[in-house]
Amino acid sequence: MEFRKLPPVREQIMKCVRCGKCRSVCPVFAEIKNETAAPRGHVFMVQMLRDGQVEPASAVYDKLGNCLLCETCSANCPSGIDVHELNAAARSYIYENNPSLGKELVFDTMWTRPGLLRAGTRFMGGAQRLGLQTLARNIGLTKILPGDLPKAERILTHIPARSARSLLPVINHARGEKKFTVGYFLGCATDILNPEVAKATVDVLTRNGCEVIIPRDSKCCGLPHIANGKLDTARRVAAHNIKLFNAYSFDYIISDCASCSSALSRKNMEFLLGGLKIEDEAFAFADRVMDLTCFLVEVLDVRLPDYEVEERTRVTYHDPCHLANAQGIKVQPRELLTRVPEVEFVEMNEANRCCGGSGTFSITHYDLSMKILDRKMDNAMATGAEKLATCCPSCMMQLRYGMERHHWNCEVVHPVELVSQSYRQAALKLKNAM
Amino acid sequence: MERADIRKELQQLLGKEKVLTDDLDVMYYSYDSSFLTKLEPAAPVAVVMPRSTEEVQKVMRLAYEHGIEVVPRGAGTGETGGCVSLNGGIVLDLSSWDEIIEVDAANMQVVVAPGVIHARLNEELARYNLFFPPDPGSSQMCTVGGMVANNASGLRAVKYGCTEQYILGLEVVLANGDVIVTGGMKARCIKNVSGLNLTKLMVGSEGVLGVVTRIRLRCWPRPKARGIAMAVFDRLDDAPATVLDVYQAGILPSGIEILDSSAIQAVNQFKPEINLPEAEAILLFEVDGNPPSVDYEGAMIKDIAGKRARSVEWATDPRRMAQLWEGRSVTATAAARVRPDGSRIFAGEDISVPLSQVAETLRKIRALADKYDIKVVNYGHIGDGNVHTAPVINPENPEEVEKVLKLVDEIHLLAIEIGGSTTGEHGVGAVRRQYAEREHGLAVKYMKEVKKAFDPAGIMNPGKLI
Repeated sequence: MEFRKLPPVREQIMKCVRCGKCRSVCPVFAEIKNETAAPRGHVFMVQMLRDGQVEPASAVYDKLGNCLLCETCSANCPSGIDVHELNAAARSYIYENNPSLGKELVFDTMWTRPGLLRAGTRFMGGAQRLGLQTLARNIGLTKILPGDLPKAERILTHIPARSARSLLPVINHARGEKKFTVGYFLGCATDILNPEVAKATVDVLTRNGCEVIIPRDSKCCGLPHIANGKLDTARRVAAHNIKLFNAYSFDYIISDCASCSSALSRKNMEFLLGGLKIEDEAFAFADRVMDLTCFLVEVLDVRLPDYEVEERTRVTYHDPCHLANAQGIKVQPRELLTRVPEVEFVEMNEANRCCGGSGTFSITHYDLSMKILDRKMDNAMATGAEKLATCCPSCMMQLRYGMERHHWNCEVVHPVELVSQSYRQAALKLKNAM
Repeated sequence: MERADIRKELQQLLGKEKVLTDDLDVMYYSYDSSFLTKLEPAAPVAVVMPRSTEEVQKVMRLAYEHGIEVVPRGAGTGETGGCVSLNGGIVLDLSSWDEIIEVDAANMQVVVAPGVIHARLNEELARYNLFFPPDPGSSQMCTVGGMVANNASGLRAVKYGCTEQYILGLEVVLANGDVIVTGGMKARCIKNVSGLNLTKLMVGSEGVLGVVTRIRLRCWPRPKARGIAMAVFDRLDDAPATVLDVYQAGILPSGIEILDSSAIQAVNQFKPEINLPEAEAILLFEVDGNPPSVDYEGAMIKDIAGKRARSVEWATDPRRMAQLWEGRSVTATAAARVRPDGSRIFAGEDISVPLSQVAETLRKIRALADKYDIKVVNYGHIGDGNVHTAPVINPENPEEVEKVLKLVDEIHLLAIEIGGSTTGEHGVGAVRRQYAEREHGLAVKYMKEVKKAFDPAGIMNPGKLI
């Protein structure tokens, strides 16, 4: 779809009164501290692009790229402007005019083929285990990587040997009476980097009467493509996933990844596919998508076995932007955590401030990302937590790196892992008592 | 001096990291929140982000030597085009110079750099049980330097007045690079009548006399208690009459806000859950102080307002207060929602009228809006006669733009005609300068003479204020 005809470009630019509220909440602006990084500045630049006052050149892309797409500005905009959508639309428009072979390779060839993505990261994981990554660092080989990659490769700390897909069957039967048939949208990062989260998700869902089906051929949710100027590819993968999931009769489509559930949400479908032929199918799909913690708290009303806990673990929670800002989901993950008997929940200051990860941002803007991360780590460490829970694999990766960077002995977990562990603890306790 | 040379010279003076010279970068400084710069953005030749008085001096000496326009800028939240360089000069972005230099609690004052955000200052002062009372709606984003330049006030001006009442002294870099300190070089006193009062002259001078680089503010003890009363009126005239009744009873609330029927409608459309009662006007009174005095004044207001109002509610419970206040806090935002394909614009938004004329002014603005067939939402600080009008138009439709500019002109003229002013707290900038002669007559000539004394070359923010 043509840039100028996209709904946010057509309808929202004029609504910006440049009040500056977005400046006061933007984590990138807080570091760069000049107007070129202000969200209203991005809106202005998109307007300049729309009106042909600036050319769609890569220099403009770089300016718009100083944005995490964390949606903090959109969530706080008094005029209700989806600043992130305007930014993404403009990035795509500029990319179309400045295509790059490298991006085609990463986002069209690799990131649309889950098998290839898995193989690529498995190779990297193998290299890590063989000590090649350390070796490459030591002999300075990583320094020949382009841009921020020499520094950013450190963020990819640990790649497990096996992906979630290789560990989990397609059909996972409900334990006890079946209540719902659930399609599990297994995102790339959970699949490859956090298979233990996927296992916990399936465990907790099946324990609570859900038959969990993990469609084999699902593709990336499209968020990395949206962020990297590849709106057409994002539409393509979305259309694929919509048709794939709609072919089943799922009661719900569940995602344990904040980025995936926001990319699959109705709001994002309106942005990507609104007005296109596939719109109705897309909305029918999106209306069944739900974040895992919401589903566990609001639909299943999960209650964990209550038993005498000897020592509780201090846990704090980081709001992923794509959950808190994009979907307004803040209460449910906390509620879930407080229902875990082993958890002593402690709130951190600025819990809903971005960690600076934001998918590929930490790779493309390493130094900036680290400044944002350091503030997050200061807030997190002040809680004295033993575990830091969050619902987004990108945040998890970034926070793990933050702990390493700050020499903080703490563990990053998804809330569902604590729930799953609690079930097992309770069962063990019961068994021992008998 | 050629553009390229100015850019090169500035980079040499301050270092590349503090100067933006790229054509693309400087475009981001072509606007503020005014409708004027939305219609006609104007980019500077360069943007400088100084972090010390010496750096500002260096820029001013260069500009003075070569006759280059200099425009100081805070967070760019102003609504008058005041911080935009209309003729391609240098913009001084002071917003990243944001140190709270010294909290002198023993002397009830604080010294800040110009870029400190208002809300952050009050967060810091709260640790000392102090506060800086002026309370603009843009508290989360505006800078104290910007407040000084515009003599800003806000919701609590009824009781606490404007910024000028809290400025004990300023450090100002003048056009030729000289640095002066107003209020006495070393003075930490609260009362001071020595010398000509240059502090008062500088406050509200919108950058046409110099660059404010350091601000010594007087702080007040933080009130311990607060309460909110909401009174609902079936007749518009009963609202200002009630305000007068409250004053005559010897009560000075910290804020008195009005929403007229257009604002009530806008709020209910925007957030139906707020569910304001349909009425001709709603008044919100905020009272602060010590708990017994707040209770007493609240009871008095309830009693007095009850004589004319359809209903009055008084609350001190924080949750209920937040609910009652929400209608007012979302009004500026809600205004745009009265027309889904429109946007509120900041023009003609800040007239100030005599208290006795508020109801009549609101009626006349409505009539003017009808005449031009433009939707407007009216709200404001009725306690001091400051009326905020929000026209809602499609700003990309030239016909609507033409009509709204006529409407805005008439609103400004109306304010002058009834003995008011074109601006109560937002300032003049480039958008209200044309009314200077009408408002001030011969005095404008002497204002220009004063400017010339400070800025003989006319490089300080030309085209603004006078």
